Amino acid sequence: METTRIPAGTPVPGRPDSFRDVIYVWEVLRGLGITIRHLIRNCLHMKDLPTLQYPDEKRVYGPRFRGRHRLTQREDGSPRCVACMMCSTVCPAGCIHIIAAEHPDRRIEKYPAVYEIDLLRCVYCGLCEEACPCDAIRLDTGVYEIVADRRDKFVVGKEFLLNERERGTL
Amino acid sequence: MAKLTIDGVAIEVPDGTRLFDACTQVRGEALPHFCYHPDLSIAGVCRLCQVEIEGAPKLTIACNTVVRDGMVVHTRSERVRRAARQILEMHLINHPVDCPICDQAGECGLQDQYMIHGLYASEVAKSDKVLKLKAQPIGPHVILDKERCVLCSRCVRFCQEITKTGELGIFQRGDRAEIGVAPDRQLDNNYSLNTVDICPVGALTSRDFRFQKRVWLLRSVPSICPGCATGCNIRIDHEGGQVWRLRPRRNDAVNGPWMCDTGRLEYKRLHAGDRLSRPLVRRDGELREVEWREAWPELEQRLTAGKGKLALANPHQTVEELWLFKRLAGLFCGEDLTAGCLAGSDAAEGDQFLLDADRSPNRAALARLGLAARAPAQAAAQAVAGAPVLVYGGDPALADPALAAALGAAELIYFGTRLNATASRARIVVPLAMWAEKAGLFLNRQGRLQALRAAIARPETAREDWRFLAELLTRLGAGPQPATLALLRAEVGAAFGLPAAQDLDALPAEGLVLAPVTGAPAGGGR
Repeated sequence: METTRIPAGTPVPGRPDSFRDVIYVWEVLRGLGITIRHLIRNCLHMKDLPTLQYPDEKRVYGPRFRGRHRLTQREDGSPRCVACMMCSTVCPAGCIHIIAAEHPDRRIEKYPAVYEIDLLRCVYCGLCEEACPCDAIRLDTGVYEIVADRRDKFVVGKEFLLNERERGTL
Repeated sequence: MAKLTIDGVAIEVPDGTRLFDACTQVRGEALPHFCYHPDLSIAGVCRLCQVEIEGAPKLTIACNTVVRDGMVVHTRSERVRRAARQILEMHLINHPVDCPICDQAGECGLQDQYMIHGLYASEVAKSDKVLKLKAQPIGPHVILDKERCVLCSRCVRFCQEITKTGELGIFQRGDRAEIGVAPDRQLDNNYSLNTVDICPVGALTSRDFRFQKRVWLLRSVPSICPGCATGCNIRIDHEGGQVWRLRPRRNDAVNGPWMCDTGRLEYKRLHAGDRLSRPLVRRDGELREVEWREAWPELEQRLTAGKGKLALANPHQTVEELWLFKRLAGLFCGEDLTAGCLAGSDAAEGDQFLLDADRSPNRAALARLGLAARAPAQAAAQAVAGAPVLVYGGDPALADPALAAALGAAELIYFGTRLNATASRARIVVPLAMWAEKAGLFLNRQGRLQALRAAIARPETAREDWRFLAELLTRLGAGPQPATLALLRAEVGAAFGLPAAQDLDALPAEGLVLAPVTGAPAGGGR
């Protein structure tokens, strides 16, 4: 489709401003009237309010909501992750940093010595969980309150992600 | 010549050509295969390269068949496809499918073939698979995973035919058959990492590269190994400003598809400590980091023409750099006091195959540029106390205590990459680029010019050697210097007596063999 470029400063066509528009008082009062109408209606029908009393009340999200990540554990509490780097390869934000190391058990062979996620970079797309061949990373915690008082606290390591359920905040 | 038809395409190939190679020519890609390798004998064990030859009752493996006149071959028929798929399924019966932890994943023959020919649901339960030993070190550099092996026997043939050491063999029978090391032996020859390259699956992996990087993250740059005078063609695999591994690159005139383990681990030196990144100037007896703008006047003052007593290059620098250094040295101390290297430097034990006793990559260029060697004692005698001395790269102070003392007493100016014994004795230290950080040419022991290419970035405050040398020459009043590497190469090419049409930026794939020197060495500086 072709678009025509309108030069800057061209007057917008329409009704010229009337005296009522120019003094502005009438429009202010009209707007105030709408506000007061809503105030009265909301006071009479409190139950229909869409506002939640956060943090006393919290919104319930669906089971497929992608919240903060966690690393799943083997039976002995070690991470299921084998440091295959699928998640860090597929991650569009490049927020997963893994350093692999040799596992003493030959049947496991490889494990992540370092597994870090930068929660500020993460876009919560869930591709990591989809790419994982070992069901080692999940975004099923439902946690969306990701707050900290320092930037470096947003880079969470293996220990944090493994014991996610016990730890509340960063 | 034999005329045959492959997939409906008529083709004429020399008699004795392998049907496998003829098929590759027509198809543009190789037939599926594990055991075939052009530099090894034919084993015919993987059975993947089967093709249909009209008139033959059964499918035939192409690797062990020689072309015959009038042959009609089908490589893409339904019968061939079904056979490849069934064979692949056989190969995968006992495979652990542990791709997530396998270093080969991403460059694995099994993965590739499965995506092309397989894509079936496995009929073998994981619990029914024959388990074998995993992650077993079988030598200083190689680790063996017997479960992943498809018994193609490439590694066994390599050790028998190429290194002739015969460490590996196939033991047991049936589905318990496995690759193993001969009793009381280790896979410890100096070419052992080539078995990792030729292993089509993840059975043999490198202990050095193990778990370091996933291969799909690596970027590859073709270059030349700086480890010895052979100049094996390599690929530098790098990521994130770091080199992770070196791999051989086929050049049949130099190294074939192989390279030695010594050269392969050469990259480790790139990331060793004591890297020079900023210019250093000695003030109050100590080397202090300074900005380039402070270093230049110091350099200009100390390198005043005609005052120098010794200029010492070394055969690890590229041809272009040595060419400019020779010009600089001529200005600084005259040709009589210029040395190409110390006699006997970089000498080590070589072998009869690829590893040369001369562990420097560019000594042939020194001779061609007329930069003679000096005995350490002779160099020490030239380095007069208090007089300016110029050393370019290397660590000559390490070679000889007398030379170290003489260099310490002289006004030493050092161009290089490491704060080594020589650099720490210097008055001025100039940080330059290492071999993986710059482009250049090496002249190997055959007199073959080959191109080095930059893979990773040098520290921001270090300079590219030839640019630094050209700028220094200009500042010292030597007149205009070549402004681009191409112009510099044209100068070098003219000095080597190459025709003007020879573009040194685009060398032939096999490198450019220089005619042997006749008469006087090529003329040096302007």
